[in-house]
Amino acid sequence: MSSFEHAVVFALSIPYNIPMSYKLIELQSVSKSFGDLKVLDNFSLYVRENEFLTLLGPSGCGKTTLLRILGGFETPDEGRILFDGVDITDLAPNKRQLNTVFQKDTLFYHMSVAENIAFGLRIRHASKALIKEKTDYALHLVGLDGFADRMPDSLSGGQAQRIAIARAIVNEPKVLLLDEPLSALDLKLRQDMQYELIRLKEELGITFIYVTHDQEEALTMSDSIVVMNAGRIQQIGTPEDIYNEPKNAFTADFIGDGNIFDALMIHDQHVSILGTDFECVDTGFGENNPVDVIIRPEDVELVSPEKGTIEGIVKSVIFKGVHYEMDVDAHNYHWLVHSTKMVPEGTPVGILVDPFNIQVMHKPSRPDEEAANHA
Amino acid sequence: MNPRPLRIAKRIYTFLIILFMYAPIAAMIVLSFNASKSRAVWGGFTFDWYRRLVSDAGILSAFNNTILIALISSIVATVIGTAGAIGLMRMKSRPRAVSVAIANIPMLNADIVTGISLMLLFIAMRMTLGFTTVLIAHISFSIPYVILSVLPKLQQSRGGSYEAALDLGATHTQAFWRIVFPDILPGILSGFMLAFTMSIDDFIITHFTKGPGVDTLSTRIYSEVRKGIKPEMYALSTILFLIVLLLLFLINYAPEKKSSRSMKHLVLSRVVPCALVIAVLVFALHSTGKVSAAAGRNGEVVVYNWGEYIDPDVITMFEKETGIRVIYEEYETNEVMYPKISSGAIAYDVVCPSEYMAERMISEGLLQPVDRSVMPEVSNIEDRFFNVCDSFDPGNRYFTPYCWGTVGILYNTNMVKEPFDSWSILWDEHYKGEILMQNSVRDAFGITLKYLGYSLNSTDLDELTEARDMLIRQKPLVQAYVVDQVRDMMIGEEAALSVIYSGEAHETKAQNPNVGYVIPKEGSNIWIDGWVIPKNARNAENANKWINFMCRPDVATMNFEYMMYSTPNKKVRELTTNSELKNSSILFPAEEDLDRCEVFRYLGSGPTDTYNRLWREIKSH
Repeated sequence: MSSFEHAVVFALSIPYNIPMSYKLIELQSVSKSFGDLKVLDNFSLYVRENEFLTLLGPSGCGKTTLLRILGGFETPDEGRILFDGVDITDLAPNKRQLNTVFQKDTLFYHMSVAENIAFGLRIRHASKALIKEKTDYALHLVGLDGFADRMPDSLSGGQAQRIAIARAIVNEPKVLLLDEPLSALDLKLRQDMQYELIRLKEELGITFIYVTHDQEEALTMSDSIVVMNAGRIQQIGTPEDIYNEPKNAFTADFIGDGNIFDALMIHDQHVSILGTDFECVDTGFGENNPVDVIIRPEDVELVSPEKGTIEGIVKSVIFKGVHYEMDVDAHNYHWLVHSTKMVPEGTPVGILVDPFNIQVMHKPSRPDEEAANHA
Repeated sequence: MNPRPLRIAKRIYTFLIILFMYAPIAAMIVLSFNASKSRAVWGGFTFDWYRRLVSDAGILSAFNNTILIALISSIVATVIGTAGAIGLMRMKSRPRAVSVAIANIPMLNADIVTGISLMLLFIAMRMTLGFTTVLIAHISFSIPYVILSVLPKLQQSRGGSYEAALDLGATHTQAFWRIVFPDILPGILSGFMLAFTMSIDDFIITHFTKGPGVDTLSTRIYSEVRKGIKPEMYALSTILFLIVLLLLFLINYAPEKKSSRSMKHLVLSRVVPCALVIAVLVFALHSTGKVSAAAGRNGEVVVYNWGEYIDPDVITMFEKETGIRVIYEEYETNEVMYPKISSGAIAYDVVCPSEYMAERMISEGLLQPVDRSVMPEVSNIEDRFFNVCDSFDPGNRYFTPYCWGTVGILYNTNMVKEPFDSWSILWDEHYKGEILMQNSVRDAFGITLKYLGYSLNSTDLDELTEARDMLIRQKPLVQAYVVDQVRDMMIGEEAALSVIYSGEAHETKAQNPNVGYVIPKEGSNIWIDGWVIPKNARNAENANKWINFMCRPDVATMNFEYMMYSTPNKKVRELTTNSELKNSSILFPAEEDLDRCEVFRYLGSGPTDTYNRLWREIKSH
């Protein structure tokens, strides 16, 4: 387990002694319900200074509510929120040292771009010279020099979202909250903006808390990812950890593609998948214990039938650009296989998996840990 | 297929639709410039009616009220409605949907229901109907319109912008005024203009919630028009039409979507016209502000009288001589007046019902006895009338005769050649399609019962059934059952014979000398209107003074010459200098004709229902 490296950990469940100053924001056992629906369930988390943290999960997992609680737009039913060690649970939004870039287009349409950006500074009665200087700087940061006098109506979606970011960062918040700011943009623009955001974070040196349901976005930008489902944390870790070592079927299924199996842990380092004994590296799952296993499609090696652990037959082949995506039927399971080498349809093949690439996980103890697409 | 005739047909069709919609308004506008009083004759172009409007204190005060009520009610409704819309937006979606529906219902509600409910509420709360109640009513019915125009703006106003402003450090107040308010301002202005227009436009609700002396333009126009031809009202209606048209134009004139400086654009397209309209109206208001006079040094008297039933100079004279300020209110029928008195919503001091209505009010204990000791002038009233009234007002304790008249037949002397003296001519096949009957149950039955030799207050079912059958038999001969139009139709020679009141008969003869009036030998109805003082009068002493004043020979003569109704005052025929009136056989019928006439009595609810049932049978036959 490499979670000690992680910027974000379960504050209560992790016993390590991390200095208090690292915890810029700390959520302690936060719960929130809307009617009968429990959106956040005893949620604890802390965020370190200067990190890019992503809250990742499907729609309705509570990530936006969490962000709104941080922004001050919702009050938790239970639990406290500390900011730099100070309780801000009941502090009004306008008193918090953080700014939000909203999912929806929230520019002020009766104001020019410059007036939009200057709004927060005006509220704080900054001098005209300062406002001009900071506005120009913010415009420069988001790459929209010369847009000061434009009206929001005349901006494209990407430009509008960049202005929204400029409007937030001009106030020099300690934390910038971003609620799916790129979801309305097209793919190309979204990718460009992802790099822009990373660059901005580097330049400004402030903490970003980013909400998304797009796992690619999360993997691309984050220092740490919090995978959420049904108001609970599923896993916290670096993008690599989350991808390579999912802790449960939900995370495995939600992040990237994968072959997920109902398997049996025979004993340490031996797991029975589809009735066949596979070698693995995991230990400590007991003997003859049901487990979940995930094997990433790029980790499945296709060899000649006699060399494989189990045999199968290629059912379909799709060209995906960098790789081929193949469907291999072996032991009545459709294996998803990614490979740069094409094996023609109808070819009998053997399947081989490096023991290191077989990820064994405990069976879900709660419904929220189950894979969303699990058959 | 020939496209050309098709195109022409299309154009004609469009033209016809527009004509259909605008012809009435066009007619009114044209007539407002017609120098002739008649609706049928073009007497040349004139601005006279408009000029007269400006010098009519009553109309100016109505204008004053209209603007004041519209302005205050729309401002208050805009504030309440906008706040309400913001509140609605913050609700969860289901309660919001329910609340919006609830807020919208009053708009769909029939005005008359709204009006009556408000009136009932005010009465239940023991509020005196007047300016305040009209104002409250207008605020109440305007609010949904404001909500309706603000809510969509709030919905499309990028909902997150309010939170974004908070996030950027603004307080709730700052976020509202700097961000939300400018965004929804067009909706607020539309709502304001809509409320303003609705207020100016409203008649029915105002009608039910207004009190004495408070008139808006629409209620004023209504009461004036009820009285008959008054071209000033065409002029006034034209002005009202143009005001509403202008307002609607401003509301619906949507500025094009502009990418640049939309705020400036908004100011130019909405705020400026709004401000202009208000400025003009406030100026108008200010310049007419002097109209409303202060209360008289000796208090006031609230008079509730028929429309056009007094010489306005008499009111001025009374105010000058007594120092009592007159608040003057008019009604059109006894049935309109009665519920206002019986509900007690308005404390009128002196009212002028017809004899049968006075009888009902006496029997229901709605009146208080007058003080004859302060009425020396009552001696000028002919005993004949007091004697007639003694039947329903024993001892003449309540009722003081003011005007009277008969019901008779008005005929066109060119169309009806041979002389007649009986109601039977109304059943003469010879005049098929040339007869106008009164569209009123008591009048129609009254003359028929008289013709059959019965009392016009008969409650005998056999007699009434006989009368009904007579009326059914007459129906094919009748051109129309009419009320106010008799006069105009006889002036226009549209019918040969009509049942008519003597006052109207006289007026018709003044405009068309080719008519004659007959009180048939079987006898007819004589009606008497007179002054009474309601029990809840606040200024009974002044009301007594008013009644006394009305009996003064000089005052009665002024009224007689103005209204041209028969007067019970025995000095008037000597005093009047108008020889045409003096010698009118319509206004001063022969004694023996009068002796054969009967007054209507109040029959009670049972017989009234019978009358109404039989009348429906006739109308639906």
